[in-house]
Amino acid sequence: MTDSKFDVVVIGGGSTGTAVARDCAMRGLRTLLLERDDIASATVGTCAGMISSGLKYRDEPDIMKMCSTEVVYWNHIARHIVMKNPILAPLLDLSDAASDSSYMESYSEHVEERDVPAMMFLTPDATLEIEPMLHPEIIASVYYEEYFIDPFRLCLLQALDARNHGAEIRTYCEVIDFEINDKQEIEGVIFYNRVFGTTERVTTKLVVNAAGPWAHKVAKSAKEELHIRLNKGAHVIFDRRIVNTGITVKAMDGRWVYLFPHENTTLLGTTALDTWEDPDTLVASFDEIEYLLQSMETVLPSIREARIIRTMTGVRPLVPDFKVPERNVTRGYRIVDHGENDGTKGLLSFLGGKLVTCRHMAEAVTDLVCEKLGKDIACTTHEKPLPGNEDDVDIIALSKEYDISLHALERMRARRGTEMLKVLEMTKEHPEWKTTICTCEPIIEAEIRLSIREEFPQTLNDLRRRLRLGTGPCQGTFCTYKAASILSEELGLAGDDFLVDILDFRAERWKGIRQSMRGEQLAQEELAQGMYACVGNLDQSDVDYDLKPWEEGH
Amino acid sequence: MDLETDLVVIGGGMAGLIAGTIAAEAGLDTILLRKGQSATAYSSGAIDVIGYLPEASEPIISPEEGLFALSRLYPLHPYNVLGYDKRIEFEKVMENIVGRTKDTVTWLKAHLDGTIAPLMGDFESNMHPITILGTTKPTCLIQKTMHNGDVQDREDSVLLFVGIMGYADFNPSTAAKTYLEDRMAAAGPPRKVGHCIIQVMPFGKPYNVSSIELARHLDHEGSIENLAEQLKEHIEQIGATHVAFPPVLGLQDALKNKEKLEELTGTTVFELLGFPPSIPGQRLQRALETIFTKAGGKMLLGHEATSYLKVDDNLKSITAASPRREIKIDAKAFVLATGKYIGGGIAGDETGLRETVFDLKPVTGDYHSAMEIVPSRFTSRLSISPTGQPIQSCGLSVDPRFRPVDEDGLEWAKNLFAAGAVLAGYNYSVEKSGLGVAATSGYSAAKNAIEFIKEVA
Ligand SMILES: Cc1cc2nc3c(=O)[nH]c(=O)nc-3n(C[C@H](O)[C@H](O)[C@H](O)COP(=O)(O)OP(=O)(O)OC[C@H]3O[C@@H](n4cnc5c(N)ncnc54)[C@H](O)[C@@H]3O)c2cc1C
Ligand SMILES: Cc1cc2nc3c(=O)[nH]c(=O)nc-3n(C[C@H](O)[C@H](O)[C@H](O)COP(=O)(O)OP(=O)(O)OC[C@H]3O[C@@H](n4cnc5c(N)ncnc54)[C@H](O)[C@@H]3O)c2cc1C
Repeated sequence: MTDSKFDVVVIGGGSTGTAVARDCAMRGLRTLLLERDDIASATVGTCAGMISSGLKYRDEPDIMKMCSTEVVYWNHIARHIVMKNPILAPLLDLSDAASDSSYMESYSEHVEERDVPAMMFLTPDATLEIEPMLHPEIIASVYYEEYFIDPFRLCLLQALDARNHGAEIRTYCEVIDFEINDKQEIEGVIFYNRVFGTTERVTTKLVVNAAGPWAHKVAKSAKEELHIRLNKGAHVIFDRRIVNTGITVKAMDGRWVYLFPHENTTLLGTTALDTWEDPDTLVASFDEIEYLLQSMETVLPSIREARIIRTMTGVRPLVPDFKVPERNVTRGYRIVDHGENDGTKGLLSFLGGKLVTCRHMAEAVTDLVCEKLGKDIACTTHEKPLPGNEDDVDIIALSKEYDISLHALERMRARRGTEMLKVLEMTKEHPEWKTTICTCEPIIEAEIRLSIREEFPQTLNDLRRRLRLGTGPCQGTFCTYKAASILSEELGLAGDDFLVDILDFRAERWKGIRQSMRGEQLAQEELAQGMYACVGNLDQSDVDYDLKPWEEGH
Repeated sequence: MDLETDLVVIGGGMAGLIAGTIAAEAGLDTILLRKGQSATAYSSGAIDVIGYLPEASEPIISPEEGLFALSRLYPLHPYNVLGYDKRIEFEKVMENIVGRTKDTVTWLKAHLDGTIAPLMGDFESNMHPITILGTTKPTCLIQKTMHNGDVQDREDSVLLFVGIMGYADFNPSTAAKTYLEDRMAAAGPPRKVGHCIIQVMPFGKPYNVSSIELARHLDHEGSIENLAEQLKEHIEQIGATHVAFPPVLGLQDALKNKEKLEELTGTTVFELLGFPPSIPGQRLQRALETIFTKAGGKMLLGHEATSYLKVDDNLKSITAASPRREIKIDAKAFVLATGKYIGGGIAGDETGLRETVFDLKPVTGDYHSAMEIVPSRFTSRLSISPTGQPIQSCGLSVDPRFRPVDEDGLEWAKNLFAAGAVLAGYNYSVEKSGLGVAATSGYSAAKNAIEFIKEVA
């Protein structure tokens, strides 16, 4: 049992929690963030990373305005992890168009601040010139542009920035209980340290519950009832950027689905199913995959020829609006101050929200926290850049200087901006660390070592979130054991832990590969089995392997 | 262009090349088509016969014992097809299985002797070579370069794992740790291991060094001396009696290089079993190609069997396409040895599996039709486990003469034989039986094809 005093304990290391920790720390509060797994290990890691104009929420003009403003901030504080996608909404007949055209105006209201053109109609020829794979019989398309952010790096950078401002960030620490005094005030937080298998306790004045789809469970530990609407969404992921632009289309059931080039891959999403399952156990179903493919196939007939590498599934923690379809639930957020209604004082819970609004959510809750602490400190999270965003980097010059491929450097830049210079610096003393470890992404050894030393990963999966390790076409077949060796070396792990890391990583990759296995993935899986089972004999390994939530059951 | 021959072998991995060699040696005019990569070249280059029974957790002591158990518990396993010759009494089936497998192993050892992939080991007991992860696996035959001598028997043995700077495929420190923990659990030698990194720079750079570059480099005059020179200090430091290398000791001269290193360092030097790109796998592939062409077989590289002509139940010809030409080849008999998903013999999408050359009807590991299966439903939740992935057991069902059969159990053509990973009913990754099944079924399919051709004549 350790005992330290904090002003605020933030529960959850997703987009919301890391944003809150950053804001609190930047305002000088003694801040602790507790995350039961890794940073960005849950919902946020399964989202499309779109920091949207709020187009889908045109019934909520203030949300649209909020989104637009936030996009401007992201471009200011995190431009190195932001990219822009042109998007086409092709129409096969008039019924494909939205019922009214007000969305065009709402979208276009904020275009200047976002630095994008106003929404426009394109002729079939103009459309096909941009994206020749589209159905030749389209009658028109709507063209617009949206921004996207790397959700993993965003969360990590927020966490690192919080740490730079004095916050403590603890991963693999699961909150299991609260200490509440007889005045119903929170005094402490009790959590289980999953790495050491110990229970720890800290005292704090306030708690921000940013546990996403587990928010109600966390609240329950304080005997608080929190209503939430959980909604499952799945994506299908392709092996490369299979389209030049994003494409959106009305699905079988009238919802909108999309295909977005994303980093080195393309995302097809998403579904929306209310769920009551443990989010950790969920995987995409055959129906969800077909729903997405069949819907996109109507405008992109060749989509089935593209190589699917995996699926990913997350659960939206929506505000509890029921008896309306998911798409009509507000994308606004709510902060529940449990103390307000005779409940636990000092406990604040989030409901709803989006990735794009996480900074805004953090600002609002930190304002409230400051008020409760009797402090008046202004928010600066929208002004100060996140680490790496300080300056531009000249990739071409660096490529010549270090003899590393342009492609590898560009990918490194997209993760770390100016911070990539630290990686390159390491290769001066260790030129062998210029060796490519993950060829799909690609990632060189020096970046893996730097990440292990400075970004507190514990497992290969943590490295994946930090580096996009093993996220390409081979899904880690070739880099898993190489990266595991480096991790094992850096962290001084035992041989058994090294093997467990390999098995854990294969398990997590397999979770997404399995549902959509077909085509070239059959050969890819034969290769993976050939390496890790046939040659490595890991199927017969007697190491202590813990079953994952999605592996339990029959 | 048209050709005429006795036998066409489609596929140039272990199964196809053995089948082709047997046929050519028997005096048949043999043409072999290979469209591209083969799993054989990806393999670690050690020949598994049978390492584990399906879902069992104890390794099998000897392949012979394994085959016995298989024949009792899994009568439809491809190994058992070997036994069911129509002239054989039921009691002799087991003898026949063991006999044929043993013949194949002996044949393979004899034929690969003197090639770039000479083998050692025997049918009486499985060996347990060390892998680049520091784990061990049961296998029947290893390449002689992988022979680790008495490292696990000699009480005072000390093993040094050697890595190469900028070569990411092998990390000696983790392998050493993993292997030592394994040996401690087994309470056997070696009780001391070490690791070191040496520099071999085929292109003058200490990064992004690849297996093939290393292997080629070590075949050059003088490289081994340089290696030995660098090793001396590390060997002395820990008193190493044995030295483990990643499997890159040479493409042409690996065995010579091993022996030279042993002479220069006074230790036992050996290669670990590795992952693709695998040099021993490529040595095996090339060695098999050499014995095939030496026996008089003709190999058409980069040629894909794309269509065929069948009259009644007789396959007449096959069309082989390459980027620049198409050849029609008439033959008396055909061997289909196109491998599984990697080789390209079986392919599939979300609506089912198919056999790629003749559109034969694949079956699952339980011999139900696999034509309309959703592949993901033939997988297990666990990625790597003794259950394996059932989808890897799908393939073709054959009659006792290794002829693919349709749903009624009747052969699709009387002169088409199949062998290797294209067959259903076994999961080589968990059984550790890949190259063994490929070799024995290739061997038997060829014998049957020869017999068929003789009968017809
Ligand atoms: C399919 C899909 C697509 C989406 N696409 C977009 C998009 O394009 N743009 C957009 O803006 N939004 C998108 N969203 C919404 C967005 O992803 C989420 O609203 C947002 O990321 C939620 O972040 P969070 O931090 O609240 O939740 P999470 O990311 O789930 O974080 C909560 C964290 O709390 C931790 N936790 C839980 N219990 C405990 C405990 N007891 N102790 C400690 N830690 C605990 C969890 O491990 C988790 O890491 C999408 C959502 C889905 C599902
Ligand atoms: C990574 C890995 C490691 C392995 N390690 C081992 C090991 O250590 N020991 C072991 O015993 N087994 C191992 N195996 C298994 C073993 O490699 C295979 O089971 C075995 O090689 C199968 O041989 P095959 O000849 O049936 O198929 P393949 O070797 O795949 O050969 C099939 C051939 O058919 C050709 N082909 C396909 N279609 C056509 C066509 N239409 N026309 C012309 N040619 C065609 C292909 O190009 C290829 O040459 C391993 C497998 C993998 C993937």
